[in-house]
Amino acid sequence: MKGEMHLAWSTDGEILKRAEYGGAVTSLLKFALEYKWVDAVLAVKARNGKRYGCTPVLITNPEKVIETSGSLHCASPNIARYIKEYLDGALYLKIAVTCKPCDAMAIIELAKRNQIKLDNLLLIGINCTGTLIPNRTKRMIKEEFGVDPDDVVREDIEEDKLTITLKDGTEKVKNLDELEKKGYGRRENCRRCEVNIPTMADISCGKWGVMDEKETFIEVFSDKGSDLIEESIKAGYIKVEQPDNIALKTRKRKKEDAIKRAKKWQRRDFTTLKKITLNERLNYWFGQFNQCIKCFGCIDVCPICYCEDCYLEADRDLVTGGEVPPDVLFPMIRIAHVMDSCVNCGQCQDVCPMEIPLSQLTFMLNRELAKIFKYKPGVDVNAIPPLRAPGTEEELRTVVLNSLAR
Amino acid sequence: MDNNGIATDKFEPRIIGFLCNWCAYAGADLAGVSRIQYPPTLRVIRVMCSGRVSDIIMLSAFAAGADGVLVAGCHLGDCHYQKGNLLARRRVVGLKRLLEAVGIDGDRLRLEWIGASEGAKLAETVTNFTRTIKKLGPSPFRLKYDKR
Repeated sequence: MKGEMHLAWSTDGEILKRAEYGGAVTSLLKFALEYKWVDAVLAVKARNGKRYGCTPVLITNPEKVIETSGSLHCASPNIARYIKEYLDGALYLKIAVTCKPCDAMAIIELAKRNQIKLDNLLLIGINCTGTLIPNRTKRMIKEEFGVDPDDVVREDIEEDKLTITLKDGTEKVKNLDELEKKGYGRRENCRRCEVNIPTMADISCGKWGVMDEKETFIEVFSDKGSDLIEESIKAGYIKVEQPDNIALKTRKRKKEDAIKRAKKWQRRDFTTLKKITLNERLNYWFGQFNQCIKCFGCIDVCPICYCEDCYLEADRDLVTGGEVPPDVLFPMIRIAHVMDSCVNCGQCQDVCPMEIPLSQLTFMLNRELAKIFKYKPGVDVNAIPPLRAPGTEEELRTVVLNSLAR
Repeated sequence: MDNNGIATDKFEPRIIGFLCNWCAYAGADLAGVSRIQYPPTLRVIRVMCSGRVSDIIMLSAFAAGADGVLVAGCHLGDCHYQKGNLLARRRVVGLKRLLEAVGIDGDRLRLEWIGASEGAKLAETVTNFTRTIKKLGPSPFRLKYDKR
């Protein structure tokens, strides 16, 4: 049933030993695969066994699911785009996908555009309080924590603290705010992110509301998710108990705190862009856009960009081929095309070799449009992106007219 | 001084107007037939529907050196294709935000509903828009364009 909440843990000894927080996610994935709920599991694995970096892996052998257990914070794979590009949009394959909120939102947005078949996906949402950039994190661990990055076996972000655990079991804690002011810490878009619980997935698994570290807090959002939990309990893969009031309260408080912190970052980042005059904005953004080397990186990673034949390719005769920097038209058209559906995954800014703050601009515009059109990207698969839909005449007469009148 | 009280100085705005075939273009026709005077700043491009004017088209007009872009279509509920003008309206709202975020005044982009019988409204719109653009000065895109 929708809205159910469980505290769950695995019954498998091996999973319990290796996974974090009771290993409920790993067990659920294993159950889904063994009982043929899905044909494959798409999860994320550390690259070459190292924590800094990751690869999405498609697993068909239930024994190998355990390799993906444990959380990786220095990993921001582009799951939605991966499903669309390499797995035929899940058209021929039933897949259980582990996804952060932004991945889940991107999947929904692509499903809206008929690029992913949502019926074939089982979305196992993972609560997320932010991801880190691998190389910068290595430097941070060396300089701020004073330890060898390879000694770290676990990171954890809890409220405003970053905790790292070393091989010998010692824990080191630093304030996240201070690290972020120095340019370390979470990725920029993660700081601004206010969707920490993927309510658009089938279930969401996380640690908020968990008392000791032996169980996972699971919230169910769809009938599919509810069935999965029920059947896996019957098959003996996980055990659950009802969370008590204290657990629910802690979870709620942590969620509200996270949103507050995100709003603070949004204000901090956006007001600097908004309070400057038009002319200063122009100089700033045209200066940034003129650094563009037209690598098409942002287009290739953006989970919302899905056109087979992009308008910005040279053969479309809009942007002159071979011209660097390209006309400012180039980034502006891209942003105009995705701004109403931006899920704030931050991929564009991550890949940009010239470090243009693309995600900042796109997400800022997205927030403004979300306010005007009362539209949240990546939540409802039946809601059409506002700039692609005519909307009702009524709404246009009132809402849009007001926003046009200046 | 020339028509309609707009002072002539060196800057002559270039306004690209995307007029819908069924209403606004007919309106412009009527303005011409009725010999209503308006500033010669408007370059008209006839489109079948204001819904055809995508963000790419509007941005390209700016990039090609337009100081202002006017999108004119049928009144709400009168669209020849039912919902084209509704689409145009949402797009303009979105694009205005983008233009302002990167430092181009949103007033350079204008959306107007002009019926086939409203030649006078077209003339008035162009007159007002020209005045606005004159106040704003040449578009930053145009400065770049003229340098080339």
